[in-house]
Amino acid sequence: MKNTLWKALGILLLAYVFAITFLVPLGPGLLEFQNVDRVISSATENRSVPEYQLIGYGTHWDEEPDALQVFVKSKSQLAALEVIRVDDATHATIGLTLPYSLPAKSWNVLINHPVDGTLLLENGLFLSDRFIDAQATWPAPSFVEHPGNLGFHFPYQPRIIETIRNLMLHVPLWFTMFLLMGIGFVSSIKLLSNPRNELDDQRAEASVQVGLWFGVLGLLTGSLWARFTWGAWWVDDPQLNGALVTVLVYSGYMVLRQAVEDERLRSRLSAVYNLFAFVILVILLMVLPRFSESLHPGKGGNPGFNTYDLNSALRAVFYPAIVGWMLLGIWMYLVTLRMKRVNRQIELLP
Amino acid sequence: MSEHMSRSSAWSRYRFLTAHAFRMEWRQKHGLAGLLLFALASVYACYQVAGGRASSETWNALAWVVLMFSAFNAVAKPWPEDSEAMRKYLKTALRPGEWILARMTFYSAILSALSVLIFLSFTLFLGSEHFNPRQGLSFLLGLECTALAFASLLSVLSAISSRAGAGFGLTAVLGLPLIIPIVLISTRYGTDILKGILWIDTAHHLLFLAALTGGIGALGFILFPYLWRD
Repeated sequence: MKNTLWKALGILLLAYVFAITFLVPLGPGLLEFQNVDRVISSATENRSVPEYQLIGYGTHWDEEPDALQVFVKSKSQLAALEVIRVDDATHATIGLTLPYSLPAKSWNVLINHPVDGTLLLENGLFLSDRFIDAQATWPAPSFVEHPGNLGFHFPYQPRIIETIRNLMLHVPLWFTMFLLMGIGFVSSIKLLSNPRNELDDQRAEASVQVGLWFGVLGLLTGSLWARFTWGAWWVDDPQLNGALVTVLVYSGYMVLRQAVEDERLRSRLSAVYNLFAFVILVILLMVLPRFSESLHPGKGGNPGFNTYDLNSALRAVFYPAIVGWMLLGIWMYLVTLRMKRVNRQIELLP
Repeated sequence: MSEHMSRSSAWSRYRFLTAHAFRMEWRQKHGLAGLLLFALASVYACYQVAGGRASSETWNALAWVVLMFSAFNAVAKPWPEDSEAMRKYLKTALRPGEWILARMTFYSAILSALSVLIFLSFTLFLGSEHFNPRQGLSFLLGLECTALAFASLLSVLSAISSRAGAGFGLTAVLGLPLIIPIVLISTRYGTDILKGILWIDTAHHLLFLAALTGGIGALGFILFPYLWRD
């Protein structure tokens, strides 16, 4: 009973994780604020102003078109722009009602909407041809941050967008691999201190074998993610090199096991190699990337996850995902181990 | 040898074993000659492949690749001590940790000399216009540090594969993935030097290499006795 409970828990957690990961909608965000090279006559300013197109992602502007407010913000100034019309849920035509003298060239674009809440597009507007005057000021329009009126959703993040869902696969897969290789490391140390214990050898082999699968899946999900966010299936990055080399090194462990006939010798040689492999894993994936520049989140001197990266909606799925994948990994490891022990006993039959 | 071992200090035993390794190598000179020939022929092949004078990037890449393969070639030759009978005898006469340290020292010396040779032949064939003398010396220093890291790693791996009875093929299979981190650090250092970045601003790569060498050496020293057991 006790043995089935945690397995059922793992499966339930993973079912929950997969359901939520692929069913929960992504929150709205701003994709682009682009100049369409036309001028448009403004109703409020009584003059012609440049026309801009604001493009959102997953927004609901058509539900309350009159309530959409658009602002631009530099370090010192906030200005309201005129919403000429809302074209559909994700497109709006904006008139750039700004004076000619501006305190800055680069502006963040902000919108307020009763459904979507306050959204931000960092450095969404860049005006290279304006006269820059640090003293140019005007009375700030009233701006109240709006929480929005949406159900449970994942946060929109620029460039990552829908692939944020990969967080529930990619990261826990690597965590599970670390756990399994850790089990292998401990088993190898135990084996070297007591070489007669055959079980430790089987433990080390089973954990590395299952861990390798998680490593390969981690590489594949990572490659998918890299294609979407960085534009290439593989990039030259310390973290990625480290991940690939780790998988290769552990593949070498499996080769070494195949190469040695004598069982006692095999268990000891592979244990020694396994200790090397684990030290290399720690150096490659946890130490080196922190000291070198990396595109990968959590590396290049940055902490892994902070409150900005991970909001409560993500946490509600991410933590169960870690536990669920780890329970699945341990279950796979135990099944592999039992298979090895059964095969061994069949071999020993007269 | 046994009496010598029991009465002497660890340091003198280590010195004796290292000297012994060199003496054995010197007695059969074809090993050293083969190593030289392999390195020179690789450099000459690179010279032909690169079409004469190489660009700075090609120069850097080829130098590390040649050093890497020369290092693998250096550890390919089995030692007389690797045979089953010799190991059984030596186990009674000396301590395995001291023996692997002597083996690492031997390979470090061989590979250091080899890296100087590779560097000189590279400047001869593929040109030296990409760096001034100071940069050249910094690059050579990087080659030396890399040679030491290669030596400590490959000594352990060749010991593992000879103990497995699988010969050189297994050393290459196990060694290539494990050597990539070292090569990554070294090529970054080499690129920085050839780009003209100040030595002091890229010297931390050498520190990484030294730390790796020390770590691998210590791990080898601790774990090698387990390889020798029956």
